[in-house]
Amino acid sequence: MSFWPAMARAFLWALLLSLGVLVIYPLLWMALNGFRSNSQIFDTPFGLPDSWALTHYAAAWEATRGFLAASLLVTLVSTVTTVAISAWTAYGLTRTPMPGQPLFVAFILGGMMLSPTVALVPLVRMLQGLGIYDTQGALILLYTAFRVPFTTFLIRAYMLDLPRDLDEAATMDGASPGTIFRRIILPLCSPILISCIVLHILFAWNEYLFAMIFTNSPGVQTLPVGLSSMLSKQGTNFATLFAAMTISALPIVILFFLTQRYFIRGLTEGIGK
Amino acid sequence: MTDIHQDPGAATRQEPGATSRRVIQEFWRLRWVAVAVALVGSFVYWPIIDNFRVSLTHQDIFTGETSPAGLENYLRLTEDPVIGLALWNNLAYAVISVLFQVFGAFLLAAIIEGLGSPRARAFWRAVYFIPSAISTTVTGLLFYFIYQPDMGLLDGILKGLGLGYWSRVWLGNPDTAIYAIIAMSQWQGFGYAALLFSVAIQKIPAELYDAARMDGAGALRQIWSITLPMTREMTGMMVIITVTGAFQVFNEVMVMTGGGPNNASQVLGTWLYEQGFNQNDMGYAAAIGSLIFAVTMACGLAQLWLNARRRVT
Amino acid sequence: MRLIPLAALLAVLSTPLAAETLVADPAAPVTHEGNLRVMTKFGSERLRPYFETLAAAYMAAHPGVTIELIQEDDDSVKAKTKTLLASNAMPDVFFSWTGTWGGNLVRGQRAVDLTEVLDSDWGKTLAPSAVDAFAYGGKKYGVPLYLDAKFMGYSKPIFAEAGIEVPETFEDLLAACDRLKAKGITPIAVGNKSPWVGLHYVGQMLAHDVPRAVLEADFDPATATYTDPGYVTTLNRLSELAARCTVGPEMNGIAYQSALQMLSDGKAAMYYQEIIEFDNSASASTVLKPEEFGHFILPAPKEAKGDPMALEGAPEGYMISTASENVPLALDFLKFATTPENGKLLSAPPYGQPSAVVGGADPATMNPSVVGGLQDIAEASYLIQWLDTVNHPKVATAWLNGSQALLGGTMTAEEVMEGVRAAAEDAK
Repeated sequence: MSFWPAMARAFLWALLLSLGVLVIYPLLWMALNGFRSNSQIFDTPFGLPDSWALTHYAAAWEATRGFLAASLLVTLVSTVTTVAISAWTAYGLTRTPMPGQPLFVAFILGGMMLSPTVALVPLVRMLQGLGIYDTQGALILLYTAFRVPFTTFLIRAYMLDLPRDLDEAATMDGASPGTIFRRIILPLCSPILISCIVLHILFAWNEYLFAMIFTNSPGVQTLPVGLSSMLSKQGTNFATLFAAMTISALPIVILFFLTQRYFIRGLTEGIGK
Repeated sequence: MTDIHQDPGAATRQEPGATSRRVIQEFWRLRWVAVAVALVGSFVYWPIIDNFRVSLTHQDIFTGETSPAGLENYLRLTEDPVIGLALWNNLAYAVISVLFQVFGAFLLAAIIEGLGSPRARAFWRAVYFIPSAISTTVTGLLFYFIYQPDMGLLDGILKGLGLGYWSRVWLGNPDTAIYAIIAMSQWQGFGYAALLFSVAIQKIPAELYDAARMDGAGALRQIWSITLPMTREMTGMMVIITVTGAFQVFNEVMVMTGGGPNNASQVLGTWLYEQGFNQNDMGYAAAIGSLIFAVTMACGLAQLWLNARRRVT
Repeated sequence: MRLIPLAALLAVLSTPLAAETLVADPAAPVTHEGNLRVMTKFGSERLRPYFETLAAAYMAAHPGVTIELIQEDDDSVKAKTKTLLASNAMPDVFFSWTGTWGGNLVRGQRAVDLTEVLDSDWGKTLAPSAVDAFAYGGKKYGVPLYLDAKFMGYSKPIFAEAGIEVPETFEDLLAACDRLKAKGITPIAVGNKSPWVGLHYVGQMLAHDVPRAVLEADFDPATATYTDPGYVTTLNRLSELAARCTVGPEMNGIAYQSALQMLSDGKAAMYYQEIIEFDNSASASTVLKPEEFGHFILPAPKEAKGDPMALEGAPEGYMISTASENVPLALDFLKFATTPENGKLLSAPPYGQPSAVVGGADPATMNPSVVGGLQDIAEASYLIQWLDTVNHPKVATAWLNGSQALLGGTMTAEEVMEGVRAAAEDAK
């Protein structure tokens, strides 16, 4: 009778392993192609590189440096603004007496349902009118505005579960809501805050639609846009392109591995409400 | 205590000037949400409203003129053959994504969470998540190369396995283009979905499983009777997120085919872009936007309705 | 906060186009003072330095002038132009294609009428056919900077090995393809993922099969009929070319860069390309060396009902904004950009963009194939412009989609023409 469970177990392991290969192999292929020469890439899809020279990676670094800097700026600033504003808002919605609270909750969380694609055409005119078209500031503004609903949703769900006695005790000691927020609630929320930070970085680093439409100049463009225009600029320099793709994917993957535990913990304690 | 019947105004009568102070105090309480409301209101809500306005006009970018067009743009929606094609593609996207990223991901999460060692669980969760961490531009480009005839990975593998006759121009063939893109999307998304399901499954109290095991229930039975029902909320949420996402898809299609060949892989998002930014017809693009809005709003409302129902029961 | 965007929007939409110069006066005096904004299409690594060099030289000669360069590339210049149009912030000097693109700018009253200026002495220093390409409604609006035309690039070693001569007729070309195929060599590398690639074949072949007058009548939606039998002839010839000379329907999944790579890697015998791409196909760093690279015009069939001496190509150039505050200065800069010296600079490597200035090409400094190509352009009877820029966008789309479908084997020639006719109707 222990045959079938063993078979099942073997089957499951085979499944997990083959899925793993399916996931990892293309990425490995991508990274390896950064070491092969263009002719090699053309000749055969398989095959290890002739030499492990970093020439293409160096060229890719040169080409993507500007984009990396732009992405870094936009991602970091919008992460700070989004998480700060969302925490601020979530606190207000859960821990303070607020007139019309359900209305505001509906308004802000309702923003999650509204699609960026639909907002595209009017946003173009709006940003041109404000004179911030083709600036990184525009992207930061848009990323923040569109992610505040979801981030607030997560933080609010988390805050709803925090016990109230700490608030009450602090209020009796004469602390203002602002102080309670900064000294007590915010530190308690660190797991979900970390999850939100990671999720937002994931979003902002990889965002393509707004970046493509609202930035044109090479100095302003972020990584995803820069990469897709590289396909035409680098022309036939596929090796450099693969190297550039690897360079742009690596930071996020590393980030995820480093913060995995906290990321999941935040979600575990927050989601499912 | 004043008898309220004798002095009806007693309970609410206040000193003069206190009312305006109260109003200011109420507004001050709103300071927490002020920034969020302003941001979300101007950049998320307002454009949706403005989009309707634009969809009722003809705009010429070269002369800078705007003229009223009534419902012409919407009429054009019904006559445009590509709209039907795009809707079909979005629908295919939605159905296949639900299959892989809801049911498939659920099963995978159940398997992972059923593993013995916590390190193994963490390992597999992380591995499958990696594609989701990478931008769609990168994966789009990557799969563009994978799907290439001759130099592509897929062709190489098929030929290597002796299945050379299966090889075709995946992205250049109007019949297979959108499905090739959808396949790439599943590769990228299933890990993220599995992670979310893992999170939900972790919340299920272990005692339920212990009790079931003592009753002699096998793994499959446990999944069916415990895991599945207890993750219903996450499942419902994932279905809505996946479907809504499928109707808003843009990046993947844009990077891999641009909507071609001959509009075979157009989705609503890319067609909106084509009309608004290449054909310079912002009015019609806005009408397409309204269509997307209608669909995603319907999905969102469906979710609210389902949630409300669940709470009642 | 909602009021602010609304107000800004209203302001943008209701601002009248202020203080415009619609016609350039050749006698207007130039004061070499002020700020000039110039938007170019030379933003790529290779071409960037050209305008930078020009601007530096001009500013050195005229210290009172500052030139601000907005350098876009082939992909981004369209979006940038539209942005600047929408916010009424067009630069003094801006890049434009010929055909519908330029026509739209003229229609929107964004480009200054340069007829009188170009009819003067300076105008005669520019190639007449190039200047004509920027004419709309009998008036001239653009200054051509360089010429572009489509040629079949080929690998001399492969031709020699296969014992093939440069084909003089279309039938000869097909025969050459058969011989190459028999030897296991890809005759023509083509990647039609971006459908303009296939459309460029159509354009050249139409000039051979359809009389010029008919073509020009059909380019205008008001007079378009698209009934000439030459159209179907061209499409059928294209299908045959695709079957005998290329990988066939697979081409729709291949990007043109991959096809170009095939020629320069010595894996294919020919690749249809623009003269401004010659330096990409064969250079010091590719397998195919410049002396091994040759070019010829896509040959006409023996019985050509159209014009066998026509060549597909178009100049690219610059227009002056009607909203510019210093039109004479802008003109002066353009005159500077089109001196023979600067023309020679542009024609030579690393830029390799054949100048539209008469005498603006020095064979001693240029890639010999580019010199030859320029000669061919000068000897052509007329230049037929790219189908996707000379046509109304709807018609252009019908051509693009139709030709891609034809090459993919999913549409017949008649069906493609039906689509084009319908689009022309729609565009009226």
